[in-house]
Amino acid sequence: MRRYIYIICVWLLLACSNQGDRLRDSLLGGGRGTVPVIQVDRLPEIYPDYIGVTIPVDIAPLNFNFADDTIDGMEVMIRGSKGGEIHANGDWADFDIDDWHELTAQNQGGKLLFSVCVEKEGKWQQYKDFEVYVSQDRLDEWGLTYRRIKPGYEVGGDIGIYQRDLNSFDEYAILTETAVPGRCFNCHTANRTNPSRLTLQMRGEGGGTMIQRDGRQTWVETKTDSTKAAGSYSYWHPDGDYVAMAVNSVHQSFFTGTGQRIEVYHKFSNVEVLDTRTNELILSPLLQTDDLEIFPAFSADGQSIYYSTSKPCRVPAEYEKVKCSLCRIGFDAKTGRFGETVDTLLNGPATDRSYVLARPSYDGRWLMYCVSSRGNFPVSQNDADLWLMDLKTGESRELKEVNSAQSESYHNWNGNSRWFVFSSKRDDGMYTKLYLASIDEKGRVSKPFLLPQRHPRKYYGELMDAYNCPDFTKTRVSFDAHEAYRQVFDNRRVRVRIKNKE
Amino acid sequence: MRMVVAKYGTWGLSVLLGIGIFLFWYVGYPHALSYQEQYQLFLWTGDYFWERVSVPGGLADWLGEFVVQFYYVEWLGALLLAMLYVALQRLCVVRRFYLLSFLPPLFLLWLMGDPSVLLSLPVAIVLSLAVFRLMWHVPVSADLLAVPVLYWLLGPAVWLYVVLRIVQWGWKHLWTAGWMLAVQLMAYAFILPQWPLQTVLAGAGYYRIPLHFPSLSGFDKEMYELIRQDYLVRNERWDNIVKRAGEVQVKTPFWSNCVNLALAEKRLLADRMFDFYQSGEDALIMPRTRDLTSMLPSAEAFWRLGMVNSAQRYMFDTQESILNGRKSGRCTKRIAECMIVNGHYQTAAKQIDLLKKSLFYRAWAEEAESMLGNEVKINSHPVYGRMRKLRYQENFLYSYEEIDKMFGLLFMANQENRMALDYFMGQMLLKGDMQGFQQYMGWVQQYGGYRQMPLGYQDAMQCIRVQSNVSGSPYAGYVRRMMGRRSAE
Repeated sequence: MRRYIYIICVWLLLACSNQGDRLRDSLLGGGRGTVPVIQVDRLPEIYPDYIGVTIPVDIAPLNFNFADDTIDGMEVMIRGSKGGEIHANGDWADFDIDDWHELTAQNQGGKLLFSVCVEKEGKWQQYKDFEVYVSQDRLDEWGLTYRRIKPGYEVGGDIGIYQRDLNSFDEYAILTETAVPGRCFNCHTANRTNPSRLTLQMRGEGGGTMIQRDGRQTWVETKTDSTKAAGSYSYWHPDGDYVAMAVNSVHQSFFTGTGQRIEVYHKFSNVEVLDTRTNELILSPLLQTDDLEIFPAFSADGQSIYYSTSKPCRVPAEYEKVKCSLCRIGFDAKTGRFGETVDTLLNGPATDRSYVLARPSYDGRWLMYCVSSRGNFPVSQNDADLWLMDLKTGESRELKEVNSAQSESYHNWNGNSRWFVFSSKRDDGMYTKLYLASIDEKGRVSKPFLLPQRHPRKYYGELMDAYNCPDFTKTRVSFDAHEAYRQVFDNRRVRVRIKNKE
Repeated sequence: MRMVVAKYGTWGLSVLLGIGIFLFWYVGYPHALSYQEQYQLFLWTGDYFWERVSVPGGLADWLGEFVVQFYYVEWLGALLLAMLYVALQRLCVVRRFYLLSFLPPLFLLWLMGDPSVLLSLPVAIVLSLAVFRLMWHVPVSADLLAVPVLYWLLGPAVWLYVVLRIVQWGWKHLWTAGWMLAVQLMAYAFILPQWPLQTVLAGAGYYRIPLHFPSLSGFDKEMYELIRQDYLVRNERWDNIVKRAGEVQVKTPFWSNCVNLALAEKRLLADRMFDFYQSGEDALIMPRTRDLTSMLPSAEAFWRLGMVNSAQRYMFDTQESILNGRKSGRCTKRIAECMIVNGHYQTAAKQIDLLKKSLFYRAWAEEAESMLGNEVKINSHPVYGRMRKLRYQENFLYSYEEIDKMFGLLFMANQENRMALDYFMGQMLLKGDMQGFQQYMGWVQQYGGYRQMPLGYQDAMQCIRVQSNVSGSPYAGYVRRMMGRRSAE
């Protein structure tokens, strides 16, 4: 009896394998195929929508599901314009990582042609082929860092800062709620993707600012008698010695309607710079005004700081009046002094818009920022979109290639400024996900692609977290969460001083 | 006593223990079972299992949650608990000291009076004892392998096993204790970078609040009264709440919220609100509080009033306040309902997919799934369709400081929303806004649906008009006190 079962199993395996081969032949168009395939004259509907996207060499495989989850199976064949082919079949397109990397490397600067065949109710259908472009520009960063948080209201819950290997699907925790129970932490920031300089903030009881230089953590209390709160929304100076921060008080109010859920606002906000060598705060009267200065970012050469500013309003009642202008102020890293004048690059009140979260590219060519109808916290604004300013000409344009009807925000550049990552709520309006897109030397931006996962529909369908604060990381982040626990619960903080305070 | 034991056998007493434990939970503390059940959502998936067993103590945790899901059916939950207690007692039997075997279950019962003690602790203890029995004839050298494996599956409760093995085999085998400690320290150093040492040593799954330990205070009467009120609210047993409120009073906003909601549901708020303790301006709705219990009655009141977004917010924040990071079946279900009412079908589907993987929420989830995107079905649903009519029709920012106005606007959005009217009038009284109360009495007359003006309101009005008390009227008494306070200000 056992023998017969064995024979039947082997026969079934061979039969399946043979059918796969024959189907593969059909897809290749070699004329050897014998499985009847119905041609469908439209592109396949896949999740995530990777049709026509541009990817870097060595990115994790663009696995995808067929949108219709009632299919019996699918066959996908990828052929490179410069040679090579790979194949996947099963419930979803799950490519071998090594084969995929080999294929993308072989086709750098070329394109990949995807042929998708789907079996449903015993019939195979082949859809129109689609292309994915492999950029000439490399993305050499090891991966991404981001925070995952429940898209809730005022309770953070099970927060975690993670890092993700972009070459594979592996994710590693940097700091999670289990390491520092009951604490809220945010705004992890590396210096131009280099994690040898790292900062993050912890709010509430036992709060503080963590500065990690070359693996050594220092927890500082950035609130002083001269500043209203601890620093947040940090950004490193290219030299790696200074950190620009906003000092603010963030609040939320909640809508009664069915559209936008939350309005986030700040009751005050100023910008300051921390010298991490001396733990001195550098203040400027131009950035310590009654206006709300927020989201500082050093320019690529480190000689100026971009930030946003809005007039004080009676929030939350006047939440619609919060309109941020995008400004720039000089900074001299040698003397640690701010400039004497402020340039207004984009005037919020004059244009009835709000310009926030300026992020200059590291090559000094572009400035990416968020534009929304109001407010200074774009991720909560449904109409927040990404815009791009050409720093050579000062001209701006909306990045229609990447924007959607929902919020786009939290953008950051990779080291060679050819790629950027941003968060978007386009899928469901609530659970923010990460997208990557490329930009060439002329400012042409590609269609963005959702951060790949091994089984995208299962992963994103079951994920109850929203992503925020994504950034590229040059190497894997080394962070001692045990040490962070000791520092947080010992509550010993290095107190900062105000520089040149008389 | 020895004669009794000899006569009826040791099993007889064990069965009696089981019956006692069953009755204790099923008759005495069903609300405690409901409380435990609502702070987890056990999923029947391989991923859920592997996620649990990927950390030390994970198997005990998974088994504990497996049992707790059956608390949804109270008698079944009580029965499983009784079996667990009996198992513990039987494992503690030592022939010469039979009656001492009842002490551990009784101690455990007392320990579980702290509602943050999770069932994974007794499960881990029972399994540690069971393994000790199984390993009775196995040489102690096997502990080189057994200790790390058991630590990973059951957590630090395995110390119990280690100690018993040392007692069994003699002090020269004290090295097993050193080995257990070494295993924990190695796990801390190499495998658990996100776990503080205290968590590694004491376990992550035994207690709901990380880095804390059981209070050893037994069953606190007032705390369990509040848990009972919430349980009654969850099960919409409004008559029981009002009846119980007349017998036991706990002077907290939570208690006031529960009682007032029950009164409103019975349309007795206008008449009897001040027959019961009122905590102050937070007696109808509590402000946001960062814990896993306080906001529940307010969330339930929001939902029934038609303040759908606020109900969703309070439920969401309640769920995120579960400090061991678990989901809540109760909260997830209500969040999904709010999303359905708001037409947020994609996010509702996410919650529903989760509930479909559970045992007791699956049927509801499948029914809810059939509604997604089906406007006709939702609009004709007795609850969701009604919510759509009751909810705010305009978009503006919620303000707790102006909660009376929020109720007023809600009523104006739909004048059939009598509960909103009752809450509106009640909140003005709580706030001491007698002018507003007088001003809007016309609404009560016109829209309140009362055959005659509620006695409470009549007393309050009389008190306001004549500026003196109405004897025997708690309503008027409260109004009088508030007027006195106002004039003093």
